Amino acid sequence: MTQTADAIGERLIANPELDVAPGAGRPKLVLKSREFRNGREQGWRELDELVRRVERRGVRSLSLDELQRLPILYRAALSSLAVARTIALDRNLLLYLENLALRAYLAVYGPRLSPGAGLRAFFVHDLPAAVRAARWHILVATLALLVGVAVGFILTVQDEAWFSSFMPAAMAGGRGPSSTAASLRDKELFAPWPGAVEAFGVFANVLFSHNTLVGLMCFGLGLAAGIPTLMLTTYQGLGLGAFVALHYNRDLTIECLGWLSIHGTTELGALILLSAGGLVIADKILFPGRYSRIENLALHGRQAALMGVGGILMLFVAGILEGGFRQLVQSTSLRFAIGLGVGALWLIYFSRCGRGARR
Amino acid sequence: MTTAQDLPEGASLAAHERTAQFFEGGRRRKREIVTPEGVPVTVEIADYGERLVAFTIDFVIWTLLTFAVYIPVLALIGKAGGILIAISIALFFGFLVRNLYFIYFELAWQGATPGKRIVGLRVIDHGGGPLIPSAVIARNLTREVEMFIPLGVLLQGGQSINGAVDWKELATAAWLLFSLAIPVINRDRMRGGDLIAGTMVVSLPKRVLSSDLVERALRFTFTPAQLRAYGAFELQVLEELLRRPHNPETARVLDEVCDKICRKIGWSNPLSRQDVIAFLRDFYTAERAFLEREQLYGKSRPDKYTGPAASA
Repeated sequence: MTQTADAIGERLIANPELDVAPGAGRPKLVLKSREFRNGREQGWRELDELVRRVERRGVRSLSLDELQRLPILYRAALSSLAVARTIALDRNLLLYLENLALRAYLAVYGPRLSPGAGLRAFFVHDLPAAVRAARWHILVATLALLVGVAVGFILTVQDEAWFSSFMPAAMAGGRGPSSTAASLRDKELFAPWPGAVEAFGVFANVLFSHNTLVGLMCFGLGLAAGIPTLMLTTYQGLGLGAFVALHYNRDLTIECLGWLSIHGTTELGALILLSAGGLVIADKILFPGRYSRIENLALHGRQAALMGVGGILMLFVAGILEGGFRQLVQSTSLRFAIGLGVGALWLIYFSRCGRGARR
Repeated sequence: MTTAQDLPEGASLAAHERTAQFFEGGRRRKREIVTPEGVPVTVEIADYGERLVAFTIDFVIWTLLTFAVYIPVLALIGKAGGILIAISIALFFGFLVRNLYFIYFELAWQGATPGKRIVGLRVIDHGGGPLIPSAVIARNLTREVEMFIPLGVLLQGGQSINGAVDWKELATAAWLLFSLAIPVINRDRMRGGDLIAGTMVVSLPKRVLSSDLVERALRFTFTPAQLRAYGAFELQVLEELLRRPHNPETARVLDEVCDKICRKIGWSNPLSRQDVIAFLRDFYTAERAFLEREQLYGKSRPDKYTGPAASA
């Protein structure tokens, strides 16, 4: 069929006036677009099949030969598209080629990594790198938290009435100026382990409760130029400082710090990371450089998002530690060991991982 | 019917896009991606309905998966925990299953989940680059922040019986509404996760290359003056009508179109009803040959109102 069409084509190129001669019996006419299609259709269909398989089963499903054919066919299809746009008026053909070119483009320039390798690259490289890039924001967020802790501690040590201002009643869980050292020690710091199911409830509660919400708000409020982020972070510090002061006044400082540290290093790390992510967003909005504010945010949003992801992961681990280990481990020194050990691991992970031999 | 803001300049649009707007009401929003080879390729932004359907399909799948994991665990625990614990565990498994589900499929299937594949949607990089793993992970975990964690907080919020307005729940609800509003207020219908990860969801249905409508030999012949009556837009509308499946409704429309064409080009010979389709196909062939040749000579004719004058 192609040959007859070509033969007709040659005849017509030789004598183009024959094209649409009116009258004169039944003229055979030739269309450039049909000739064009006849010559290339096979390549399109082959490409279509390869792309379909890449979409279904990934690039790995192609044989070596097919892998070599793919970019060749892709470029041919792109050039077909460019030509078809200028010479063809066949709507079906144009739409097909647009679609095929786009799908082939996505297949050819698509991700090279398998899901497993992609996840590994994310955790080994992308996440720690994004966190490292925001070290100044992390420093500021940490300072905001520390200022809060210091102020909350100093004020509450002098006057325990401050405790209720810094700690929402729902969070205080019955603790307050009226608590005795014995009740704090037995009902809280060294309360018996409630059992796996209850512990899991605590865990899930951590994930969907106050601290997560505060962390995410710190992150999201970065959109409002970062001031609310800093305020919220400091406020969290105030509560923490007041909490420690309450125990300090009852000679339980060391036990309290141990109780807090087992999950606190991770949870506070998550809070700092989320705040710092919020500050990154604020930074990109406030100081857009040579881009528009929205453009700049889009350009750097991924870094902030990665920090948010890091924060959520840390909250996850904090939940496991709080629900699973805090009441299971009853020794203060062991609690310190776990808490500080986990904290050190986070520090090493974020500061070293994926950096390679270079410092 | 067509909204003007979707079309930068109506006249400069390619005929096949105008035809799409003619038939579909012009709802599609498009962006152009320039490939490294320098050829611009058009992508169609997915619309809300498609995304909702895709999400619903995915929702059903991962909910079933979650229950498949959850029910054995619940049976193991027995009635030890009470309802609150049961909900907490369900939320936890929901969290794990849905994130693994979305991230796995969007990485393995080149930006499509089962729901998206059924509807014909793909996640692509907003700038036209490759879809990298960190973007996929970011856009999916952001969904937690946008939707599921606020929902979880609201669901658990019922336990605090103060009677007073809880600022936390208010803030959560406001945040949820804001997240839902984001795709409506930006041009590319990106949700928060798309904005942060630099991705967008496009509609990429599989298209079939149908056989060419062009006839090999013509029974009817037309003069150049007759063929000059129409342009590319009308030609493609005719093509679309001719490609419709044959049924009485199509036949009626084709009859009407045939009458209109005959009047417009001054076709004097009487046509029998059986000849309508043959006549239209011949006309389509001749018209396309004519218009394509004119276009090659630099006299393209977008529709019957514009283009080179009849004196050419």
